[in-house]
Amino acid sequence: MIKLREDTNYIVSGLERSGTSMMMQMLEAGGVPIAYSEARKPDTHNPKGYFELEGGKIINRLIQGTFPFESYKGTFIKITAYGLSYLPQGSFKIIYMERNLEEVLDSMETMAQITDQNREETKQSFKKLNEKIKQSLKMRQHTEVLFVNYNDIHKDPRTNIEKICTFIGPHQYDTAKMFAVVDSTLYRKRR
Amino acid sequence: MEEKSDEKKYTTISIPTQLAEKIKKRIQGTGFTSLSSYVTYVLREVLSGLDQESSEEFSKEDEERVKARLRSLGYLD
Repeated sequence: MIKLREDTNYIVSGLERSGTSMMMQMLEAGGVPIAYSEARKPDTHNPKGYFELEGGKIINRLIQGTFPFESYKGTFIKITAYGLSYLPQGSFKIIYMERNLEEVLDSMETMAQITDQNREETKQSFKKLNEKIKQSLKMRQHTEVLFVNYNDIHKDPRTNIEKICTFIGPHQYDTAKMFAVVDSTLYRKRR
Repeated sequence: MEEKSDEKKYTTISIPTQLAEKIKKRIQGTGFTSLSSYVTYVLREVLSGLDQESSEEFSKEDEERVKARLRSLGYLD
């Protein structure tokens, strides 16, 4: 298992349904330490699992300011975009996933089993959230961010894996296993 | 102080001489006929960009919409 810096919190983020679970899975396959609970079981929406802490409800703890970041230093955890609004001061390395917003919304609607009657408004709200969070990350001190595009990973996994490994640091990654995680059959909401 | 509408259509703004010289060089051969017309153009662009930014702010309404969606996906209580 690769050993990451113990003075840094590592996060995979992005809007929900933007490929954050796939990224966590890729990291684990590559030998990178990640932490998650199994409270939310794999299902048809994420057949390989969600890779989340607290059944995905970590945002509640972040809002309350009670999430123990200290316990997760040197380990990747998943905090989706909205949760990053509540990130405390500290040293962070963040892989931020991006995906075609229409695909994100399609996937959200399927998962929530809804047909959004106000889709355009929802789209604008998520677009603004995404921009706000990305902007705030760029402004933060002691925070490094790598933006990774879900659609690009499927087009060119090798180049993206190289970028990810370079970002995390010089370690012995199992890039073949990382590559194998990129499963195009799970890229279902294409635009 | 009273300001008459038919007067003062323009006002004077001071900028550093060095900057003015740089701008003069930059506008050579462009459609800008003077330092003033270039500075006016740039300032209008900046202000319109700022207006656009503030209209794209993540409002309380946006936040509520996002939170409702996150609840429906099981990410928030």
